[in-house]
Amino acid sequence: MLSVTDVVKTFNSGDRTIKPVNGVSFTLEQGTFAAILGKSGSGKSTLLSLLGALDKASSGDVVVDEVNISKLPDRKLTAYRRDDIGFVFQQYNLIPNLSALENVMLPMEFAGVRHGERSKRAAELLNQVELTEEMHGRKANRLSGGMQQRVAIARALANNPKLILADEPTGNLDDETGELIIALLRQLAHEKKTTILVVTHDHALASQTDRKFRLARGKLTED
Amino acid sequence: MGVVSRSVGNAFRNKVRSGAVVVILAVAIGLALAMLVANQAVGAKVDSLKASVGNNLTVNPAGSRGGLGGGNPLTAADATKAAAVAHVTSVNGTLSVRLANSAATSTTTATPGAGQGADRGGPGGGFGSSGTTSLKSAVDPGVLGQRNNSNSGATGGSTGGSTTTRPAFTIPIQATGVSTSTTATGAAIKVTSGAQLTDFAANSTQALVGTTLATKNSLKVGSTFTVQSRTMTVTGIFDAGDAFDNNGIYLPLAATQTLTSQAGQLSSLNVVVDNIENVSATQAALTASLGATNVDVTAGSSGLQSAISSLGSVQSISLIAFIASLVTAGLIVLLIMIMVVRERRREIGVLKAIGAANRTIGVQFVLEAMVLVVMGTVVGAVVAAFSSNPIVSALVAGNTGSTAAAAGPVQGAGGGGGFGGGFGGGGFTRTRGAFSGASQLIGTISTSVGWQTLVLGAVGILVIAAIGALIPSLLTAKVRPIEVLRGE
Ligand SMILES: Nc1ncnc2c1ncn2[C@@H]1O[C@H](COP(=O)(O)OP(=O)(O)OP(=O)(O)O)[C@@H](O)[C@H]1O
Ligand SMILES: [Mg+2]
Repeated sequence: MLSVTDVVKTFNSGDRTIKPVNGVSFTLEQGTFAAILGKSGSGKSTLLSLLGALDKASSGDVVVDEVNISKLPDRKLTAYRRDDIGFVFQQYNLIPNLSALENVMLPMEFAGVRHGERSKRAAELLNQVELTEEMHGRKANRLSGGMQQRVAIARALANNPKLILADEPTGNLDDETGELIIALLRQLAHEKKTTILVVTHDHALASQTDRKFRLARGKLTED
Repeated sequence: MGVVSRSVGNAFRNKVRSGAVVVILAVAIGLALAMLVANQAVGAKVDSLKASVGNNLTVNPAGSRGGLGGGNPLTAADATKAAAVAHVTSVNGTLSVRLANSAATSTTTATPGAGQGADRGGPGGGFGSSGTTSLKSAVDPGVLGQRNNSNSGATGGSTGGSTTTRPAFTIPIQATGVSTSTTATGAAIKVTSGAQLTDFAANSTQALVGTTLATKNSLKVGSTFTVQSRTMTVTGIFDAGDAFDNNGIYLPLAATQTLTSQAGQLSSLNVVVDNIENVSATQAALTASLGATNVDVTAGSSGLQSAISSLGSVQSISLIAFIASLVTAGLIVLLIMIMVVRERRREIGVLKAIGAANRTIGVQFVLEAMVLVVMGTVVGAVVAAFSSNPIVSALVAGNTGSTAAAAGPVQGAGGGGGFGGGFGGGGFTRTRGAFSGASQLIGTISTSVGWQTLVLGAVGILVIAAIGALIPSLLTAKVRPIEVLRGE
């Protein structure tokens, strides 16, 4: 389902060049729940942004369901991000002046889902991540970090993507809520056959995944 | 929650800044609207001036004006020549004669000498012979009448060889022979009851009588009076707006020429030029064609040309100011949107990352700019409501003063009440009257400016604002999401 071949990402900072991702190759079957582990600054977020088409690899190919996204034009990339990918940012990146519900509705708006259906599904998703009804209408910048993280997860699920890329999805959650999110992701992978790749430091989460990768010095190895 | 409500929400996100932007926009847009009003008001003024001045030239025998001066009468041949001059669209000859009261004449003819004065030298002379009429003048001779007529009377008297105590006389009546329903200066004759002349034949018995003259002689439409030996019928009563002209009559030109034995003679030609810009060139051409020694060609508009051109420059200045304020409004929106987009780079990155198309992002910022512009326009309209009246007064009323001053001598020299009525502009006074009252602003602008202009201006502002919002937002949306997500 996901096939990554010899991906390199080079950054030029001043006179030095850094290669946080330096020849990464791996494949994931549909419905796999996988984790990437690695030290801070090892390039995990960088790799994820390449897979989510937020950034372009310096070289190498990322193929999702036979489509090489490294070669897609801008318009097709928009559709890819909207329909195929659910991205959970390490910093959540909610739109601060929109409510939790409105944030979750956004990807569906871009996909052309009717308003009534949007708000209905958004409410369902927020309930799934256990955000209480009274929080649905609250502006994102008035929510706690953990709440924002759950809204970000709900938003990533909005358009039923086939690949979910989540950067530290449990980083700000208590154990109990973390367990809930892990269970939710597992269920999505195993019952709905969604492919899920998470970046995590959380051992509880890592232990629940089907496959575990480690990123170090630009290379990815499987445990 | 769609892109529209999101944009409206965003427009109010930073309330202090949005408020400031709306105020600045309001000033610029208000100024633009006020300038538009000023531009249109001045334009209307120029048009009314042009219309009231007309494209007319008056040809008189050299050294003669109306009943004064001397020289040889114009002829039908002169009219034909004038018509052949370039840019001349029509030539209309008239013959003015002065008719003495027949009763007074018969009284005075009994007195030797004085009769000749009334008949020959006449009051002011005119061209060749005058005639008599049964009408009595509605104007008392007064000091001026006594002086004017006693002078010629004295001349007549001395020719007659004796001075006698003259009986009270009535001053002669001006009769103008016309071949269309226009005055000697080309203005339409304003008939207040009855109808215009229709029979312009030499044996016509139709006549138009001035209001005061009709009252003095108890004439109504259908009444009769005599000119020389012919009985004329009043077809209409006209109001020229002043006592001198209302003490006159209009007769068919051919009948006037026949009755006063001045066949083929004309006292003045009214020449209509195709365009007001060609008036002075045609004036020179006419003088050359008819001979400077034979005719005087005068332009009613010569002095007003400068007034019109100075008003014209006010018009173009206000147009430039209108455009400049619009551009200013557009620049304000552009700069503010550049700021707003910079501030929300990260948000644009998020929107792109979760699947927003560049178009969606562009639309969102354009709508946000529209909200600011619409609010600015509403406040600006109120600003304009209060500022357009003083601005228009300052621009036009001040200019009207100088125009009137410039027009004054022209009116005298031009020898016509021709633009008396139109001057000071009925239309303009009405327009200005309507300016008072802020609530009427939109109505006033739309009527005086026209919906097309208003819509054009609104579309102009919106287009500038749209471009101002599109450029920065699309430039930002074009880059990869990660670059804007990471921020500076
Ligand atoms: N735009 C950039 N320009 C230059 N260097 C960058 C850029 N983005 C990331 N880096 C560098 O690449 C390396 C990997 O960063 P990345 O954010 O991928 O780490 P990470 O594994 O996600 O770390 P963490 O676990 O702390 O989130 C870091 O050394 C970082 O400084
Ligand atoms: Mg990271």
